[in-house]
Amino acid sequence: MKASIKWLKEFVDFPLSPKEIAIALTMSGLEVEALEERDDDAILEVSIPPNRPDCLSIMGIAREISAILRLPFKNISVSVPKEEGEPPSVEIKDSALCRRYASRIIRGVKVAPSPQRISHRLELHGFRPANNVVDITNYVLLEMGHPLHAFDLGRLAGNRIIVKTAGPVNKILTLDNAHKNLAGDMLLIWDADKPVAIAGIMGGLDTEVSSSTVNILLESAYFNPVSVRRTSKAINLSTESSYRFERGADIEGLGSALNRAAQLIAETAGGKLTAMTDNYPAALKPVHIPVSLSKINKILGVDIDFSVVRDLLIRLGFEIKRAGEGITVIPPSFRQDIQRDIDVIEEIARLYGYDKFPATLPAVRMQTMPQGSGLFPATYRVIKTIENSMRSSGFSEVINYSFLNPLVFDTLRFPVNDKRREVIKIRNPLRKEEEALRTTLIPALLDNVILNISRGEKSLRFFELTRVFLPAGQKLPHESLRLAAVYLKSPHAPSLWQGKHEGFYEMKGAMENLFIKLRIKNYSFTDSDLCEPYLYPGKSCAVSVNGRNIGSLGTLHPALSESLDI
Amino acid sequence: MTIEDVLSIKNLADEEIKKTGDLKSVQALRIKYLGKKGVLTAKINSLGAIPKEDRPEYGRVINETKDYVESLIKQQEEFFKASELENLLKANRIDVTVPGFFIPHGYQHPTSRVLDEIVDVFLSLGFRIEEGPEVESDYYNFEALNFPKDHPARDMQDTFYVTDDVVLRTHTSPVQVRVMEKNKPPLRVIAPGKVYRCDADVSHTPMFQQIEGFMVDEHISMSDLKGVLEIFAHAVFGASTPVRFRPSFFPFTEPSAEVDIGCVICGGTGCRVCKNSGWVEILGAGMINPRVFEMVGYDPELYTGFAFGMGVES
Repeated sequence: MKASIKWLKEFVDFPLSPKEIAIALTMSGLEVEALEERDDDAILEVSIPPNRPDCLSIMGIAREISAILRLPFKNISVSVPKEEGEPPSVEIKDSALCRRYASRIIRGVKVAPSPQRISHRLELHGFRPANNVVDITNYVLLEMGHPLHAFDLGRLAGNRIIVKTAGPVNKILTLDNAHKNLAGDMLLIWDADKPVAIAGIMGGLDTEVSSSTVNILLESAYFNPVSVRRTSKAINLSTESSYRFERGADIEGLGSALNRAAQLIAETAGGKLTAMTDNYPAALKPVHIPVSLSKINKILGVDIDFSVVRDLLIRLGFEIKRAGEGITVIPPSFRQDIQRDIDVIEEIARLYGYDKFPATLPAVRMQTMPQGSGLFPATYRVIKTIENSMRSSGFSEVINYSFLNPLVFDTLRFPVNDKRREVIKIRNPLRKEEEALRTTLIPALLDNVILNISRGEKSLRFFELTRVFLPAGQKLPHESLRLAAVYLKSPHAPSLWQGKHEGFYEMKGAMENLFIKLRIKNYSFTDSDLCEPYLYPGKSCAVSVNGRNIGSLGTLHPALSESLDI
Repeated sequence: MTIEDVLSIKNLADEEIKKTGDLKSVQALRIKYLGKKGVLTAKINSLGAIPKEDRPEYGRVINETKDYVESLIKQQEEFFKASELENLLKANRIDVTVPGFFIPHGYQHPTSRVLDEIVDVFLSLGFRIEEGPEVESDYYNFEALNFPKDHPARDMQDTFYVTDDVVLRTHTSPVQVRVMEKNKPPLRVIAPGKVYRCDADVSHTPMFQQIEGFMVDEHISMSDLKGVLEIFAHAVFGASTPVRFRPSFFPFTEPSAEVDIGCVICGGTGCRVCKNSGWVEILGAGMINPRVFEMVGYDPELYTGFAFGMGVES
């Protein structure tokens, strides 16, 4: 969220430089990711965590600043001009998905470009100005955080609004001039005949406010966050509006946002406004959260008393009452993230300042380890031994991505019934070549060799020791550890061996070293046709331990090294 | 045999031994005089033929002669052995400036080195290592960590899906849940491993390594979290590295924190690496959310705990 310092100062007059305010916000939980200094202003780029939709506005951030710096917050004074005419007719058919819908009609507006002070601010905050009506809805969204929508009343059949799900309707043409496919449970805004907007996400193109618009209907509503999010994901469209609704808008504050916009439209585009139709079937009940002082101090490891807690919470706009040993806290309506005592404790910690906490070391209780496993899982020591042995045999560790291109099985000459062809696939891979999880480590090691040859390397030894993913006939695959190593031998590389010899024996020696270090005695290398299809028949063997086949070792198949240009 | 005979043997031996030019001829003289059939040995053997009253005198002279010859030969042998060794050393000089034979040595991947270094710090604090699957169920990766379905917090992590219900783990945090489900506090655990995000650009790779850590007991506080992580940061980045904690948001911790260290590149004055802030974020942490405790069947009024997670590469 971008926020202009100048605009913020309309709500809280802070004496800090842009850089200082950026640090103050960052240190209390709203991380300022960038600061753009301009001639007469500065723009903060503030990262708003998902639990703080109340800060997705200039006022929201200003409210935080006033709490952090103990400065008075200057609320906006909205004065609605004289109301006249019939208020809009609104019917909510699905009050679980739309808990409140407030609206006004403004008749006789002159749609035109916005005054410069409006359009300039929109541009500073990343919005493209359209016309004075649409711009004001965006201006108020930025200022107060509540998404609004303006319909061309002339194009609303029956001059009325019905809030209900899509039902059998499966398509709508939205403002971005694209048809959106609808599902039956998606919430829409309808006129008497047809859907005119996807609730909380985007308006329909047909009822868009344009230069020919004379009368508008202004919507300020509260839509169910889960419903907005599901629809937004399903139609793959995220907007400034849906972003705020899915995080939770302020159901109590939407009336003043409507009034603020109505007032600004009347001021800049003219027109007469009607009274508000406020459809709010079940008013929000504020939560009362009991919090014990001892729990605050236990969790934070501090020793703060009631007066400190009260001061911190009042600065945040919380109501607070003493209740026996503890307190009862009533958060403001825009803080729907505050539901449990731990939420209150976090607010106290945040505003108190993490830097004021002591750094202590916990007292620990000794215990035995489960299954007598000690500090490591059983495999951990073995892994370290194998890594050490491979390194001492001259092999360097590589870490490749766990992804695999299934086409590689043909290159490796795997028979069609090779078990390793059964891969776990990723539904949304970044690239088609990375759509499967590895069932063998070999392809990536061969890629490492090819890449290094292209960089001019003549001799190299790599190993990788990690998991492969094998379908196990249950929800999660079997993750099994594999060791693979590759040796590119240059005829010119110096060697401790005299004369010419097959690199095979060096590789075999590395394996023998490994068995010695693992204290495995009963191993054997046998000339076998069971060997890997990518190995050189007659220059490869099967490796077994205690009579069980555990792998293969050999020179790369000549057909393969030719096709890979190794 | 007369005394003079013995003395003339002595004189002859003296002359011969002193004239020798190498070890071999000394050894030949040893055989000639002192061998089984040697000249002096023969004299000793013939003592029986000497009249009884003269035997002690003869015996003394012969023994003295034998000791004299013996020591003279030994002296000469040592002289030649020493000079032979000297010649050997002179003859066998090598050129030590010729390059050595290359014994290949493999290297640990830099990420593994850093990972081991971090793990060691926590092992020394009595944390134990646990592991979990990289292909993980939605329940462990999200649901049990208080990321409900349809919650915007899920947007914080781009997820690779295998099915609707199975993902490549986006963090090592699911290990927290798996370990807590199977064990009762007290717990001190670290869980290193690979994690995946559906994201690739200059500063992101789709696979990277994380280390998760957590501690649960009856009186673990946020101040303890600060203490433990300060030890960690000082051990890895140097004892004088400044560390700061600031509020953040993660669904599975509350309160949550980001931990920054003073930028090691510019020393805190501001550079490209720290985006001119003087600080570099190293990890996310917080007090384990009571909702997570509820999910694993711990009493959140009895137990408290902290958790942290860090990327190894960054």
